[in-house]
Amino acid sequence: MNRASSVVILLVLAGLGIGATYLVQQRSAPRIATEQRAIDSRNLLDLLPADSYDNQPLDQPLRLDNVVLSNSTLLGGYLATKAGQPAGVLLRSQTVGYAGSIELLVAIGANGKLLGVKTLRQSETQGLGARIADWPNAWLGGFTGKSRNEPADNGWALKQDQGQFDQIAGATITSRAVINAIHDALRYFDEHRQQLIGDSPHE
Amino acid sequence: MNRSSTLQHSLMLTPLIGATDSWLTALGVWVMFIVVISAYGVGMAVLRPKLVPNARLIAGILLAATLTSCAEMAAQVWALQWHQHAGIFAGLIALQCVVLDHTGFFQSAWRERLRLCGLFGALMLALGLREFIGYSGLHLATLVPGGFILLGLLIAAWQAWARPNPSH
Repeated sequence: MNRASSVVILLVLAGLGIGATYLVQQRSAPRIATEQRAIDSRNLLDLLPADSYDNQPLDQPLRLDNVVLSNSTLLGGYLATKAGQPAGVLLRSQTVGYAGSIELLVAIGANGKLLGVKTLRQSETQGLGARIADWPNAWLGGFTGKSRNEPADNGWALKQDQGQFDQIAGATITSRAVINAIHDALRYFDEHRQQLIGDSPHE
Repeated sequence: MNRSSTLQHSLMLTPLIGATDSWLTALGVWVMFIVVISAYGVGMAVLRPKLVPNARLIAGILLAATLTSCAEMAAQVWALQWHQHAGIFAGLIALQCVVLDHTGFFQSAWRERLRLCGLFGALMLALGLREFIGYSGLHLATLVPGGFILLGLLIAAWQAWARPNPSH
């Protein structure tokens, strides 16, 4: 036991440690990435009815890049298909709430009706606006089946703004932001249906 | 209780409060703790006699960092969701190795080591039960203050049980 042999042992130990960590990292990185993808799709896709699509929507991103709408920004989107036919789109929408930005995932069916809305990120007031992050969410569920023109433009607002939707108690600004973002997304889908899913309305 | 055992105990307090908001998280952190601590103990038992005293701390840090990194990546492969919830506490195990080494844990008797690991596990799992208390409607139980309160109650119960006849 002397200084020199200790230094050699330390160097060997450091080399082995770095080597082992590197090898484990190399071997596990692809599996971790796959697993992360599976978690992402579970988190993102649970607002689509399970039998409404049969592709991997996350592998079919739409060409949307920060499309600025009147009350929100579309950050991106995904296409869901069933038996090769477009079943709907998922739009990631960002808007500004009471305390900061809110990121929503808005699922719209090929018929232009809303399939569901889910909050991906928010920093609203705990216990009030932050309730938009609860999942499943009865308030957000209330929008399912609505479309751009149903209700009409003036109906797409809170009851206190002469619209037809209830608000989350104590969170007027958050509720207003979410409603406007959803309406924005529906309007965008309506106006860009051809570009998004490549067919025209069936009506 | 000397200063280094206070350090050792306060390091254990972090996962005890932070990683016990769900039972599975608590169990996972404890299992990882046992695996990494055991591997570290074996590794250092081999290295220690071959090193001058000054080099032991560096060797310990290298070994603890390697073992914890590898264990963390293995945890990510097997249970990524668990790791996303508990990863930061899993990382602390490296520090616990070094501190336990420093306080002479690996030189103490087998029974003593088993007792500490067992006590840590029992407390982790007991505090992990907060998750189920939370389900029954007491939301406070799942928050950090709830962890402190339950830990305080457990220690009080232990004290009362260990000293049934307090002298006045």
